[in-house]
Amino acid sequence: MSPATDTDLEAFRAEVRNWCRANVPAGWRGAQTGVSDDEFVSFQKAWFQQLRRAGYAVPHWPAEWGGGLSSAQQMVLYQELAAHDAPRLVLAFVSIHHAASTLLAAGTDEQRRRHLPAILDGEIWCQGFSEPEAGSDLAALRTTARRHGDTFVVNGQKVWASGALHADWCLLLARTDPDAPKRRGISYFLLDMRTPGIDVRPIRQATGESHFCEMFLTDVEIPAADLVGPENAGWQVAQETLSAERGMTMLELAERLGHAGFGWLLDACARPRPDGGRPLDDPVVQDRLVELEIEVTALRRMCRHLVERHDTGGAGPVDASIVKLHYSEVLQRLTDFGAEVVGLPGQTVLRKPVSSGWESGAWVLDFISSWEWTIPGGSSEIQRTIIGERGLGLPREPAVGP
Amino acid sequence: MNIDLTDEAQEYGRTAERAIEAAGGDALVQRAEADPARRGDAAAVLGELGAWDLDPLGSDDELEAAAALCRAAGRWAVPYPVAERLSRPGDLHVDGLVVVAGPAPEAPLAGLDLRWATIDLDGRCGMATPRPLSVPARKAAFVTGLDLEPLDEGGSPAAVALGLVLGCWTLLGMLDRAMELTRAYVVERHQFGQPLSRFQGVQFQLTDAEVERAGVEELAGYALWSIEGQRPDAVEDALALRLAAVEAAEVVFRTCHQLHGAIGFCDETALSWLSRYSQPLRRLPLGAAATRDELSRRLGRRPLAGLFDGTGAGW
Repeated sequence: MSPATDTDLEAFRAEVRNWCRANVPAGWRGAQTGVSDDEFVSFQKAWFQQLRRAGYAVPHWPAEWGGGLSSAQQMVLYQELAAHDAPRLVLAFVSIHHAASTLLAAGTDEQRRRHLPAILDGEIWCQGFSEPEAGSDLAALRTTARRHGDTFVVNGQKVWASGALHADWCLLLARTDPDAPKRRGISYFLLDMRTPGIDVRPIRQATGESHFCEMFLTDVEIPAADLVGPENAGWQVAQETLSAERGMTMLELAERLGHAGFGWLLDACARPRPDGGRPLDDPVVQDRLVELEIEVTALRRMCRHLVERHDTGGAGPVDASIVKLHYSEVLQRLTDFGAEVVGLPGQTVLRKPVSSGWESGAWVLDFISSWEWTIPGGSSEIQRTIIGERGLGLPREPAVGP
Repeated sequence: MNIDLTDEAQEYGRTAERAIEAAGGDALVQRAEADPARRGDAAAVLGELGAWDLDPLGSDDELEAAAALCRAAGRWAVPYPVAERLSRPGDLHVDGLVVVAGPAPEAPLAGLDLRWATIDLDGRCGMATPRPLSVPARKAAFVTGLDLEPLDEGGSPAAVALGLVLGCWTLLGMLDRAMELTRAYVVERHQFGQPLSRFQGVQFQLTDAEVERAGVEELAGYALWSIEGQRPDAVEDALALRLAAVEAAEVVFRTCHQLHGAIGFCDETALSWLSRYSQPLRRLPLGAAATRDELSRRLGRRPLAGLFDGTGAGW
């Protein structure tokens, strides 16, 4: 990095810092703990607009659509937002990452013009990928979309659609050619959630929350203009857009883990127990903290390295999988340790600040949520398979026919 | 020595398991959570089997029957303090006994109109009044704070060991069931054109968890035998069992959740309930770290006698 760039970056860092000091709402964690869905949604939307006015909401988008920060600037931005414990864009996550990268990579100009500005104005998206019989094996999906002239008629069931209750639009994968090999008969659609025939039902989770939804689709009509990419090429579109942005989103999460997450853990360890002792005074606890800090530091470096290699075109085919696997498991270990440190009373903490990262200090909830990393988005088993086969060049697991 | 339960005890356990299933099985805990007044439903069923007449420290047969009963209750996550009721000392006028530790003792005793005694790891006894639940059962799994009134009488080490060991038998029943549920799930669940169980990566995770569970089963038998033989190490053996059981529970539930995928965190699956109701057993009276600490404090540099103590007692 040239000295001139360093100076520019430091100036940018100072700008972000000043902005954070002036704009991160004081006490938002307390205020956003245990709030209703409506309050969560309006808080998230307001925070999004605040970031947008500063030019920080969609830094990864091209400049013409309202983004345009360099990777180096984005890294600085996410470091500073984490360091100032700013709320995360939880509600808009799928909109600004998955929906936007799909539209930018495979959408038509008209689709981009229709949706990218709308996303900036608050349009919320969810993902309709998984199905009861198609989890890790996503390509086995059975929801059908049959063409009738300029309309597709969709029937089927989706599960684990995070935030579907609040969504205006949905990224939908459905089978358009039942006779083709399973990865070649899927199409990618933009589905307006107001269309008749959509029934969204929340799923009650072990934590008592209902963050995920089931979605039943009965004769739902989608105009052919809302098809993304060519008919029957939906699998390829999804593959391209799912991994495209992983580097920077992982970097953001790793920075959160390093700042907020590890900080909360230290706080928990420093809090006196009823008998007056502190976990922190225990050498075993100190050892575990040091181990975790090393792991988190390594994770942050890995993410940074991945982003840099994305920029220079030097990223390997499995780098994103390695980062995802490592993050998932460090997160699980760290939150597990947090749950252990807070002990039994931690079991009764059943509310957490809803706009926070995956680690919030409500350790038991955080630990349970960590399975939202080791299971979805390609489970840890799938990531290991990818790394083994595509990274190490190991033979594929023998497929045993029925 | 023989650390296996007698055929009679095993048959008693199977009978209890069927009786609990007939009374609702998995639905018992779901009903009790929705309506805590129904917490006692299982008590009546077990009462018909003579559970509350057992005197586990009175005879080996009754001790083994009690262990088998706790294991059966664990399989269904029965929302009732079965192990605590069975640990009732003969010499106090109480309905049950619970092992406590630390300055703010807690136990899953909320909402039952029963008289409770407590014993700490050093054998000091007390009478306990469970406080009313301040949060719904769903959040607390019926765990509540206890107001203690110390008693002059001291309890025997066997009473401490019994309280610890029976709780581990309950947890063992939960691990049995979690493994069975997960085995059935990976055999039935097809992805990539084959059952998940065909993937060696899945097989290995499940087998590692099974090795943990099987180790607890062995130790549970051993710790029970240690009580039967009135061995001086009975409390240490019980703590060693507890440590192994709590650590195994971490591995087993972690694996079972990972292999069940997202559905395992939803209340339509029995795993979600088992995993939630295993928490009090895994954290009370002491969690993994505190159990390890207590055990090493007691043992110092003296090893556990174990199976090969040189006396060859019945071996």
